[in-house]
Amino acid sequence: MSAQRLRGGMEDLPTYIGRVSIWLATLACVLALNGCATYSNSFAIIKQQLAEQHYDEALKSIEDQSGDKRDRALYLLNKGMVQRMKRDFVASNESLEAAKQEMERLYAESVSEHALSFMVNDATVSYAGDDYEQVLVHLYMALNYLELGQPNEARVEALQIDLKLREIAEKIPDSKFTEDALSRQLTGMIYDELGEWSDAMIAYRKAYEAYKKNRAHFSIDVPTMLQFDLLRLARQQGLADELARYQQEFSVASTKETTASSEAEGELVFILNNGLAPIKREKVIGMWTPPPAAAVDASKRAKNTDTTPTTPPVLINLALPYYESRPSRVACARISVSGKQADTQIMEDIDTIARASLSARMPAITARAVARAIAKGVMQESVDKSAQRRDDAATKMIGSLLVRVVTIATERADTRSWLTLPANVQLARLSLPPGSYDVTVELLGKDQNLIATRVYPQVTIRQARKTYLSQHSMPY
Amino acid sequence: MSRTIFSTKSAAVLVALAWLVSGCATSVERVDVNQQIDLSGAWNDTDSQLVSAEMMQDVLNRVWLDEFTRSQKRQPAVIVGEVRNLSHEHINVNTFVADLERSLINSGRVQFVASSTERQEIRDERKDQDLHAREATRKAMGEEQGADFMLKGTINTIIDASGKTQLRYYQVDLTLISLADNRKVWVGQKKIKKLVERSKLNF
Repeated sequence: MSAQRLRGGMEDLPTYIGRVSIWLATLACVLALNGCATYSNSFAIIKQQLAEQHYDEALKSIEDQSGDKRDRALYLLNKGMVQRMKRDFVASNESLEAAKQEMERLYAESVSEHALSFMVNDATVSYAGDDYEQVLVHLYMALNYLELGQPNEARVEALQIDLKLREIAEKIPDSKFTEDALSRQLTGMIYDELGEWSDAMIAYRKAYEAYKKNRAHFSIDVPTMLQFDLLRLARQQGLADELARYQQEFSVASTKETTASSEAEGELVFILNNGLAPIKREKVIGMWTPPPAAAVDASKRAKNTDTTPTTPPVLINLALPYYESRPSRVACARISVSGKQADTQIMEDIDTIARASLSARMPAITARAVARAIAKGVMQESVDKSAQRRDDAATKMIGSLLVRVVTIATERADTRSWLTLPANVQLARLSLPPGSYDVTVELLGKDQNLIATRVYPQVTIRQARKTYLSQHSMPY
Repeated sequence: MSRTIFSTKSAAVLVALAWLVSGCATSVERVDVNQQIDLSGAWNDTDSQLVSAEMMQDVLNRVWLDEFTRSQKRQPAVIVGEVRNLSHEHINVNTFVADLERSLINSGRVQFVASSTERQEIRDERKDQDLHAREATRKAMGEEQGADFMLKGTINTIIDASGKTQLRYYQVDLTLISLADNRKVWVGQKKIKKLVERSKLNF
């Protein structure tokens, strides 16, 4: 009697674990159900609204999808970006500033979220933004301030970019994204306009180094406008050696271009945000494997072959993210102002940067997915074991099946990213005498075919100042 | 036995509930405006007050003021020019400029002239009076008091960061420049240094 009781007491522990596992699995199931569609799938409708330039509707859709607190940074980033497209730069800066603060808050990693992510999936962790996204939020805020005609405020963002890049470089020394060429170029242009030429020279130099360093990864050569900026400032600052080096390297007839933007003229800077950044999709690798403990069991089973029931194999699912490009028909833009023309040039390839960033993080993501699969496998096994000790066949079935379904359903890839970013950023600059102009922007396809035209009336150019104008072209 | 377990459980549930509920309500606590509260390490009201208090002390106790009053037999008129924000943060410089202005005017030893944006509004009003106001109350144009000195300044920061530690160094420079001959009659400086530790984990 007492022996039987003792045995029963000993059996309680695995049963208890089994019961807790089922309970946990149900909880996870509830969690997973509201996450059934991955983040990136829910973006299709917003993309459609943006392509049709229905910005208010897009803002409403973004608002509707803003329920999850863990995606708050993304919600704010997308909101800010759409407000930009709407040319509401003040509101855009408010949203982006809030996004920045949310990212800063998430600098402290949440232990509980990470524990949950180990059981469920990576998407249960609050999204703090990829490194490049954390830099680009400053870049777009700076652009907002520039379009509002507040270069001093844009200068603040430029300094914050510098801080952020230093932080990234310290955190991940071998990261490909320790320098952001476009941000440096823009920083240089801001200093240039404010008359801080030595700072401008330093920023241009950093942009130049970044373009040179990243030529291999991001396939963009040193843009001609940067070459002219370097030549002009090197001459102005009396840096003879540096000037000679640039002249030799860029092999341009330097005098003509560098004197083009004289003090008496102003400058129009046109920014084309072309297309949309790549979108993360999920690929699932599923395989039936023997349960993790089966290998240990096998040796035991060899000794006494009869009683131990064989546990069924476990389906291990690895859901991993990958990037899918969203190609744009637009190759470049041509701006025309009172007889003068300029074509935009690619300054930053966000598509490639995003891909490089993900592939750098892929080993860690895969390792986490494997660890999670093993953890879920262990849970499955303990449930199976405890189920087998029950007499009721139905309970046996339901218990193991439920856990099996839940482990598969909860394994989702983290497909979150800043989806309203452009695929690439292009710039064109035109020197103009002070005055008011109608600016015509033509979007051109790959063989210079005209896709769309837009006219910006009454753009004011002021002496020795830069006027910024941006447009976001959506892929259809 | 089972009853004890039950009561322990319900107590635990109660505690958890209480904790949850307390986390829901917004709490407001009124604090004294002079109390120092640092949240993120960014420029805040305390910095603004520290700077204006120190600068005011300094500017009123220097020789330029006595010299001017003695030679001109009147109080100097000062105008606030641009205080440029060259820092890493979007700082609202208006608060401490306003603080400074208030302290200086209230000291009764310096007069202040409206800034260029304020002036424009006043001139519009005067133009309006010219058309609509009674002769006796109408203010004539061309009777403005010209300023003797202009107050200009900059806010600079140097930030050094390593891991979760950040050293923030602010330097505010204010200069009083004589409009008659471009002489700098007073230079004030205030430095603020902060060590900010960012948390790496939360629960």
